[in-house]
Amino acid sequence: MEENLGCYAIELEDVSTYYYGEKRPAIRDITLRIPARVLVLIVGPNGAGKTTLLETILGLLRPRSGRVITLGYEIPRMASKARALSSYLPQDFMKSPAEPFTAREVVAMGLASNTPTGRLLEGNLRRVDHALKMLGMLEYADRPFGKLSGGQQQKVLLARAIAREPKLLLLDEPFSAIDQETRSYITSEIFPRLLENGCTILLVSHELNHSYMDADIVIRMVDGRIERVITRDVHAIH
Amino acid sequence: MSMLFINSIIGGVFAGGLCGAVGALCSRLRLMTMAFSMAHAALAGSALALALGADMTSLAMLFAIMTAIMLGPLADYLGTSLDLISMTLFSLYNALTFIFIISTPGPALMTESIGQLLWGSILAIRPTYIAYLLTASIIIIAFLATFWGKISSILFDIRLAEAEGVNVKTYKYAILLIAGATITLALRITGGFLVFSLLYVPAAASLQLKASMKGIIALSWIIGSASASIGLAMSFLYDLPAGSCITIAALILMAMASAYSKLEASLAPGRW
Ligand SMILES: Nc1ncnc2c1ncn2[C@@H]1O[C@H](COP(=O)(O)OP(=O)(O)OP(=O)(O)O)[C@@H](O)[C@H]1O
Ligand SMILES: [Mg+2]
Repeated sequence: MEENLGCYAIELEDVSTYYYGEKRPAIRDITLRIPARVLVLIVGPNGAGKTTLLETILGLLRPRSGRVITLGYEIPRMASKARALSSYLPQDFMKSPAEPFTAREVVAMGLASNTPTGRLLEGNLRRVDHALKMLGMLEYADRPFGKLSGGQQQKVLLARAIAREPKLLLLDEPFSAIDQETRSYITSEIFPRLLENGCTILLVSHELNHSYMDADIVIRMVDGRIERVITRDVHAIH
Repeated sequence: MSMLFINSIIGGVFAGGLCGAVGALCSRLRLMTMAFSMAHAALAGSALALALGADMTSLAMLFAIMTAIMLGPLADYLGTSLDLISMTLFSLYNALTFIFIISTPGPALMTESIGQLLWGSILAIRPTYIAYLLTASIIIIAFLATFWGKISSILFDIRLAEAEGVNVKTYKYAILLIAGATITLALRITGGFLVFSLLYVPAAASLQLKASMKGIIALSWIIGSASASIGLAMSFLYDLPAGSCITIAALILMAMASAYSKLEASLAPGRW
């Protein structure tokens, strides 16, 4: 209904975001248009503003100036609509060993977010197990999240993100704890399937050493700004 | 057995259970200091009611809920943490409580109502009071059962829930409102200074026992219920302050939970 019919998944215009009480913006004057169904790699050194950019796109951080439109919804006014269609894998995902929710419960929460009361139907539960299975975590489904290894926790959260069948997938250092084999399975099997289903993927990484990554667009950030945009045969516009 | 005794046990079961469950939710959401400050707001509200000759429960509820609504925006406005503001307000409320008590007309300090205000009394447990507790229990159980999918998401990771479009603020305020109502009700039997122990101790005790999240909430309910009803029975039998008896009963149960979890760990294979 209010969905933008334009071809961009994300549009930012002169966006600057400040953390509370800070004089320097964490990202400044960012203008960026990302078409739908592409894989975007965002690279840059620590503190470059990569996480800030992702959280601004979802409206978790409010930009002080500029305009953000995510999946056709104006942020932050319509953020909840955009969020319902998006998945986010945060950079700091580890939980304490005492975390009692099971892996399956954690994935199910991702689907509960999109239902009116949070109650899941049979079909939803199958989707939960399917996502766990894709990441090789089905055998750990009933284990408390806190009793999983770091990489296993990251896989469960990735399963949660994928189970939501998002139109926008924001991944902040998604492979920081994940082994090489799983990594290439995700990039070669899971990503293409998501893209085919109309999903736009933004993947944040420290450095551009993922030779396996078939990114359509590579954005390099430094010091809160976009330093370079490299585009591979799509009409992305900086 | 007297009617008062039976009423005390029933009142304890509900008031203690409510406090335990609300405490478990608040501790998961890091709202404990906020609940602490709400408890003292309710105390100050009751003391003001005493001084003015107004209705204690209404003013206590008003103070507690105003605190819940005010704390977040106030912390944002002042740019400090919620904990800091909560503890500052806690000091203010205690200061006000004593001023209100001294301003109470008549020979204030030793009257029955002051005692009830400070350390609670089984005399507060009347049929209407039990009806309130029952209503509150039904509301909280229905709330948890209906929205568990979303609530569990918030309990697991509030920021991730927000990122997925859950209306985190609404649920948080709903929980704080329930906490305010629970504190105000429980205050009548525990007294203003010890109501927090009934929120905190059962939740802390249940965390020592290995359980699922639902299990932790249920265990907090059970431990809270047991603490309050055992405490009230002791208060009735030995004519001691209700709040003190409840707190001591809760601490004994917590020690037992601790001992049990230690024992279980030491019996587990692979340890020596
Ligand atoms: N909570 C915060 N409060 C104040 N400043 C912050 C906060 N979080 C980040 N910053 C600042 O904002 C800037 C951008 O941080 P951001 O977390 O977006 O970087 P990043 O590119 O994700 O870095 P990393 O690779 O280390 O994850 C940094 O200068 C950082 O110091
Ligand atoms: Mg980061």
